[in-house]
Amino acid sequence: MGNPRFHRLLSRLLSDYGMVLVLVLLGACFSYVTWDEQHPTGIEAAEQLTDRITGEFPPGAAVLVVAREHREDADFADSLQQRLTGAGLKVLGTVKGQPPDARDHLEALSRSGVGLDAIACTDVTGRWAVFDRLGDKFPGLAGARILTPPSYRWPNFLKRDNLLNVANQIAVIAILAVGMTMVIITAGIDLSVGSLIAFSAVVCTWLIREAASAEAAGPLDMVLCGLGAILLCGLLGAFSGVMVTWFAIPPFIATLGMMLVASGLAYILAEGQSVYQVPDSFVWLGRGADFLRIPNAVVLMLALYLSAHLLMTRTALGRYIYAVGGNREAARLSGVPVTAVLVFVYTLCAALAGLGGVVMASQLKSGSPTYGLMYELYTIAAVVVGGASLAGGEGRIFGTLIGAFIIAVIQNGMNLTGVESYTQKVVLGAVILGAVMLDIAKKRGWGRLQRARQV
Amino acid sequence: MSGIQRFLSMRPRRWTVAALAALVLLWGCGADQGGKSPGDGTPSRGTIGLSVMTLTNPFFKVIADTLTDEARKYGYEVVVTSGEFDVARQRNQVKDFIVRKVSAIVLCPTDSKAIGTAIQEANQAGIPVFTADLACLAPGAKVVSHIATDNYAGGKEAGKAMIEALGEAGGKIVVLHYEQAESCLLRVKGFNEIIDQYNRERQAGNIDIVAVLPGGGAKDGGYKAAEDAIQAHPDLVGIFAINDPSALGARAALEKAGKADQVRIIGFDGQPEGKQAIKDGLIYADPVQFPDRIGRRTMQTIARHFEGEEVPAEILIPTALYRKADAEKDPTLQ
Repeated sequence: MGNPRFHRLLSRLLSDYGMVLVLVLLGACFSYVTWDEQHPTGIEAAEQLTDRITGEFPPGAAVLVVAREHREDADFADSLQQRLTGAGLKVLGTVKGQPPDARDHLEALSRSGVGLDAIACTDVTGRWAVFDRLGDKFPGLAGARILTPPSYRWPNFLKRDNLLNVANQIAVIAILAVGMTMVIITAGIDLSVGSLIAFSAVVCTWLIREAASAEAAGPLDMVLCGLGAILLCGLLGAFSGVMVTWFAIPPFIATLGMMLVASGLAYILAEGQSVYQVPDSFVWLGRGADFLRIPNAVVLMLALYLSAHLLMTRTALGRYIYAVGGNREAARLSGVPVTAVLVFVYTLCAALAGLGGVVMASQLKSGSPTYGLMYELYTIAAVVVGGASLAGGEGRIFGTLIGAFIIAVIQNGMNLTGVESYTQKVVLGAVILGAVMLDIAKKRGWGRLQRARQV
Repeated sequence: MSGIQRFLSMRPRRWTVAALAALVLLWGCGADQGGKSPGDGTPSRGTIGLSVMTLTNPFFKVIADTLTDEARKYGYEVVVTSGEFDVARQRNQVKDFIVRKVSAIVLCPTDSKAIGTAIQEANQAGIPVFTADLACLAPGAKVVSHIATDNYAGGKEAGKAMIEALGEAGGKIVVLHYEQAESCLLRVKGFNEIIDQYNRERQAGNIDIVAVLPGGGAKDGGYKAAEDAIQAHPDLVGIFAINDPSALGARAALEKAGKADQVRIIGFDGQPEGKQAIKDGLIYADPVQFPDRIGRRTMQTIARHFEGEEVPAEILIPTALYRKADAEKDPTLQ
């Protein structure tokens, strides 16, 4: 046994992306725990329910279709009605609404004295209490049976909607984490990103309200307002960068100051209220899903990761960033423009925080100075879980993406399984500690490998 | 240097990875066993997703607990989450509810405007949304029913309590406000109306509201505001604080200034700490809210909705005035 190339690959994978394994294991665990009964929806559900009804009732039987009013259910109801009529059954009516609508329909049917054999429901409407003890409430309908589409079993966690949900929920933090990874690779830290989210969200919505025409603003106006917010955040970031380089203030302190300044500015500008006078189309960035039904925020996030990865691995600037973090003095002596690199990194980090703020404002269709509470810490956690070292010089952009996803999967998985929020914090904290332990263990293993090589 | 050797040398690392991953999984799964795992026990009618503003305030905890108990009677299970003042987090919780295909969603919004998009998404998924205690003010978001304390009538009760506390003499009073909250605007509106009406009916012994100060709805805010109020008006005789924490903060400031006997305080809420303060004579009286009734009524409204009945768009739960005599009979206090 033992193809050396395979083992080398495995060893590289584990040491570089051991966190991928953790992510996969977490996914497997939550898939197992959320293994649950699933119900087909829409046209597929209509197809299966038709088979069931035609199998149990002869042609001519009277059926009432009950669904809710949203699109998926409307598709179900229309398709079912067509199919049942096609199979020779009598569809007495189709309810598309809430329980009170169903009740009205049932009352009318009961009074009219037409017999009813079956009520065709979705799994949700089938559980409405209005159908309990049907014979007592509607004497005319005593014999009617409730039929729902057959169910199958599949993990809630692995549903397409949920996986997109996970990606969408982490998009803002993941976007922030791109810039934070670079800052941390230079052995710095940026505590201001959470406040910058709030600042950017407020600036963007405030500009739309004051400078553009509030609810009547056009797409170009909104793009300009968003860019304005990102630019302002970039300026604040450049200011932090100057503090860190020219005035040699430790990054922790410089960005701590900026965190307070940005938060205060957001409160001043918004006067402590949320700014919500924005057009409906403002939610496009945060809630739209134009490309392959993948949310726009997720597409944006992936594009950013790809560009950042190329920047860090394929360009001189990327190598400078690693060099500054690895050994600042050595980097300076070998001709790396250390000051410019650092100012660039802080500016980029802040601008990305600004972008995150615009995305969040779009998701929530308003800007409020309370946004982004504790986000700097979640962002740093994502970067650290992703394998970057706070000592600088090490870290991978895609590692950070994995780190962000680990945090998102844990939060989503716990929400799906109904773990209460206090326990969630404990688990999240334990995972961050575990990730750093793993990182250290990884490095020790490395040392052993190198010793073995020297023998 | 063979591959096998390399494999052996990396083994400890793999074990570390596996052990840590197992630890993480045990944590996750262990925590799940403690909570409500889906699919066990009696066949359920469905799940109700609840997201409150914060679970650190006993008020919301009581709403969550009574709603859960009441839901069990109707055959529903409740998933309790909390936004902890972060509206983005609350929105994610709503999105998770939608993926879980819950039967209904109950919210105590952390932000009455920004929560609108989340409610719209639930509307699009066909899931009925109810709000408890705090309303959603975003246009275009459809809420089946809003169940809350009748804050306006409660404010009127507070006004009556103030008149009763000051007696014939009247005098200068201040209001410790929290203008960001809709509920507090209603409380102060009701309070002002009763005081105005009282003043119109008499010549002497009027009650003058000399200032409305921001108390932040918290102890520290109430403390600072009350300190400033005593400086500006040394002859102050009354304070109406829109909740218990700011009332207790004001009380602390009065004690420090040695004016605790001169100034009567009316609070609002009737949280355990506030009730104890009424019993100890620190606060004169509170219009008390009934979070348990809000929780129970919310669940009953959901059940009625699923029965197919039309439910009112707003259901108000009245407050009751709670004085020292009530506190002395209250078995929940020592």
